[in-house]
Amino acid sequence: MPIERPDTASLVRQRLLANADDVDALFVLAALRVQDGYLEEGLTILDRVLRIDPRYPGAWRFKAKLHRMQGATSAEQSARKRAEDTER
Amino acid sequence: MAPDVVKLKICMAGEGAVGKTSLIRRYVLDQYDDRYVATLGTKITKKSVTVANPFGPEPLQADVILWDIMGTSTVRELLKEAYYHGAQGILAVADLTRRDTLIALDEWARSIRSVAGDIPTFGVVNKADLEKDRALPGAEVEAFFRERRWPWSYASAKTGAGVDETFVRLVNHVLSNRG
Repeated sequence: MPIERPDTASLVRQRLLANADDVDALFVLAALRVQDGYLEEGLTILDRVLRIDPRYPGAWRFKAKLHRMQGATSAEQSARKRAEDTER
Repeated sequence: MAPDVVKLKICMAGEGAVGKTSLIRRYVLDQYDDRYVATLGTKITKKSVTVANPFGPEPLQADVILWDIMGTSTVRELLKEAYYHGAQGILAVADLTRRDTLIALDEWARSIRSVAGDIPTFGVVNKADLEKDRALPGAEVEAFFRERRWPWSYASAKTGAGVDETFVRLVNHVLSNRG
């Protein structure tokens, strides 16, 4: 029997309804908002992820990318440094 | 004398519901759950294994860090640096019962290599227990992996068959390509 797979946005909604601090769902929500063109909102959500779990895998590197997209070089470098420290 | 220790970041690759999370769960915890729960975001699992050192007589301790990422393509390209930076190997997972999952591995490998470089890849065809629903002829599987020069195996996260061997071969493949 084929496995039924909900789309990502629905899954994120379901998970956040169950737990507003679901860090996996928030991480993906940040990416979905950026993909939809809302970079600042995505960054705000990503910052919330990092407050809940400062070692969330890949989050600092994603933050560095978003700052690069903003053209915020200093913030990008700072996030990249945190990524390297976290991954060590 | 304690063995030398190497840290290996391995990224799981493969379409949604091929069994990436189940393979890790079987390998690390020797557990299996029939319910499908789609992975959201990133999950990291660590396991230490002692393996033969391809470059010396003493065994090596490999601290394997398995990065399990969501199989859906929605935001994967946007997140590729976050997921794949520093990866040293790929476990490319296909599903024996879905032909498209084998073809899709090329795109996964391309995406990972665009960030991590030309890193070693090991292929595994999961759900080997579902032979009656096979959609991938053996010859096609073999041709696919041979053409790309990826070592490969069959496994079943459900029964456990071939799972340990797959991960051990993957680690050996990555180590022997470290040069």
